[in-house]
Amino acid sequence: MTMDLIYKKKITMIEITCNDRLGKKVRVKCNPDDTVADLKKLIAAQTGTRWDKIVLKKWYTTFKDHIQLQDYEIHDGMNLELYYQ
Amino acid sequence: MGSNTKKTKETRKRRHRSRSHSFEEKDSSREKKHRHHRKHKERRREKHKHEYESDDSDVIEVIPNDDSQVSPPPAPEISGSVESLSIKETNKLRAKLGLKPLQVPGSSRNKVDDGKKKDDLGEFYHKPAHSLTEKNQHEKLRSKLADHREKRSIDSKLSKVKLLSNEDDEDAIAWVEKSRRIDDAKKEALRRAKMLEELDAQFGIGEIVESEQRSKRDRQYNEKSLRGIKVNHDMDTFGERAVILTLEDKEILEEGDDVLININMRENERYQRSNENKKKKTLGHDDDDELDQYGNLRPKSLLRKYDEEIEGVKKDSFQIGIDNALAHKQAILQSIKNKLANKIVENATTTQLKIASDYYNEEELSKFKKPKKKVRKTRVKGNLLTADALEHSVEASSSKHGNKMHIDKEHLDFDDVPAMKSEIKLEDEVDNSLERALQKSRRLKQKRHISSKLPVVDAIKPEPAEESMELGNIVLNATAEFCRTLGDIPTYGKSGNREDSENLLELEKEDSDEVEIIEDEDIDEGGKWNAVDPNKIAKESSKVTVVETPILDEEPDVSSGVGAALKLAMSKGYLDKEENNRPSNSRLAHLQAQHYSIEDKTYGEELERGGGNRRERYAGPITDFKEKDCFKPNVKLEYIDDDGHVLSAKEAFRYLSHKFHGKGPGKNKVEKRLKKSQQEGLMKKMSSTDTPLGTLNMLQSKQKEMQSPYIVLSGGKHTHSTTIAKTRR
Repeated sequence: MTMDLIYKKKITMIEITCNDRLGKKVRVKCNPDDTVADLKKLIAAQTGTRWDKIVLKKWYTTFKDHIQLQDYEIHDGMNLELYYQ
Repeated sequence: MGSNTKKTKETRKRRHRSRSHSFEEKDSSREKKHRHHRKHKERRREKHKHEYESDDSDVIEVIPNDDSQVSPPPAPEISGSVESLSIKETNKLRAKLGLKPLQVPGSSRNKVDDGKKKDDLGEFYHKPAHSLTEKNQHEKLRSKLADHREKRSIDSKLSKVKLLSNEDDEDAIAWVEKSRRIDDAKKEALRRAKMLEELDAQFGIGEIVESEQRSKRDRQYNEKSLRGIKVNHDMDTFGERAVILTLEDKEILEEGDDVLININMRENERYQRSNENKKKKTLGHDDDDELDQYGNLRPKSLLRKYDEEIEGVKKDSFQIGIDNALAHKQAILQSIKNKLANKIVENATTTQLKIASDYYNEEELSKFKKPKKKVRKTRVKGNLLTADALEHSVEASSSKHGNKMHIDKEHLDFDDVPAMKSEIKLEDEVDNSLERALQKSRRLKQKRHISSKLPVVDAIKPEPAEESMELGNIVLNATAEFCRTLGDIPTYGKSGNREDSENLLELEKEDSDEVEIIEDEDIDEGGKWNAVDPNKIAKESSKVTVVETPILDEEPDVSSGVGAALKLAMSKGYLDKEENNRPSNSRLAHLQAQHYSIEDKTYGEELERGGGNRRERYAGPITDFKEKDCFKPNVKLEYIDDDGHVLSAKEAFRYLSHKFHGKGPGKNKVEKRLKKSQQEGLMKKMSSTDTPLGTLNMLQSKQKEMQSPYIVLSGGKHTHSTTIAKTRR
């Protein structure tokens, strides 16, 4: 763990805002090494929709479930678009 | 929970704002809406611990979903427009989802405290600085340790060394005793050995041992046993030095004698061979002589570069004890000595200086192998012949032809001549013309011979002595000689010394009068200088009348070439000469310049004057050439195409143009022109008065034949047609 911290950036919690523009807007705390699926589950927990019905987008890129947030370069305080399928 | 407090704060603030009515544009439209419901909302907020928005607001109240397995708990707190969970709650949720807890910055910092310091930006770690005090302490300790170690090693060394001083006296005595003891032991051993030897000698054991040793030595491997072994090197490569030879490697199953080699020498050989191969490649090495190491010429074989390929690599070898190296060497030396003995050593003093010549002298010529010359039959010329030789030749010729002609020196039998003539005629029928010509020449020679004999044989033809003397006195000088030789060269045309036609005529006449022939010979000599016999002149003149030139020429041989054919055509008048064809001067007179003259005199004067009128200089001459008055060149430029037709100006232009551009006319054009030319040709052939089939001619002849002014066109059946013809006529 210490070795990782020496060479990698220190991983801290981030907070992401997700907004479907229909009246739902949630702020979610998560780790940058969480996957998009994890984020979806967290959002689902907060909004009450099923996580597999959620689609996260930023402009025209749809985020895929198995990829980590840090790999999509999703940082603290970013806004994601929330859609339902 | 912090977030919750924040929210409450915010709402409070909002309330405050609304009261003050100082609303900023920045605030979202959502907040504007809130304004309207403010009054009844406020109360609710007071009531509930958690803030819930009314359903008309854009943030929707979240109803927990009971059917989901994950079963997220209803959002515990939703503040304002954004719902958010605290870290604790999130962690609880994450634990339920099976995720690791959130990494809070504070917690991680505790773990990462290991003496490293962050820089100002908190991104890089710095290495801690060296502390000098620590370093000094370390050094002190180390030096102390080293001292101790040294001390210990010295101690251990010193402990091993024995001290001499302690046992000095005792040792000297002991040493003497010891050495004395050793000496005694040695002496005793010697004595015993001697005794034993004596004993051996007494019993004869020594001899046995000796013989045994000798036999052993004999059995040992020595020079003799090496005899006959093959050494795979040239004998000469071994010098005086000792060379260690080893057995050559060979296949296990291979049978054959052992062969000795030296690896170093083998290497040398290989190197030499490769060197030679290189030489062969670079030079055409066949030409120059190669010397072996003793200066002898190496025997050359044809295409020796292939020798190795055909016969395999030649290896020098010898057998120990069989090939005698010394003898070999001496033989070689002997050969060198012999060579040197034979050689004449040349130097500047011994050799005489000689002027180099471009030509071979006789000795050299004799050495030089001449190609055998083909012996050509030299034609024997009459003036060079001696009488005897001639006679021989005549005899030979006569015998060859089976003629019985015989000529005596004293008696010339001319009766044989006609007989010979008949013989010739017979042959004429059989043989070809060449044979005939040969015959003729022979005949002439014979005659010449006879005539040359005439002065000798006075008995047959008595003649005045003085005149005969004059005959003999021909003055020979250079001119005469020249003319004489000229006479021998047969010339063509009527230059005088051609005898053939005359001779032929004469030969025919020989039947009738023999004497005349004899006298005639002088004339026959042609271009040669002859002694003129005044008596004969009259006869000769009469002879001239007799000799007639043939009236009709030979039929010209047209087959020999185009030239001959043209000549014939010219002579017969088929062809006109070019001059006649040319347009005459008079016809072109109108084309000649009217005012064209040359002013020579004034031209020069003008220059002298200093070029008076410059323009006139280029105006051209004014007066005519008086002397060239009649000179009116008649130039006609004609173009002829490939078929030989004379081209008109237009056609010529087209022709040249095609040639110049390298591009012929099209196929259609060519065809058209061909057709045209053909038609033209036909037109030329066609007579102008008649149809091509000659109907008119036929009609006329028919009319003549029928003696009637008309002709019946149809057959006899149709009588009425005749009537028609009649009526027409």
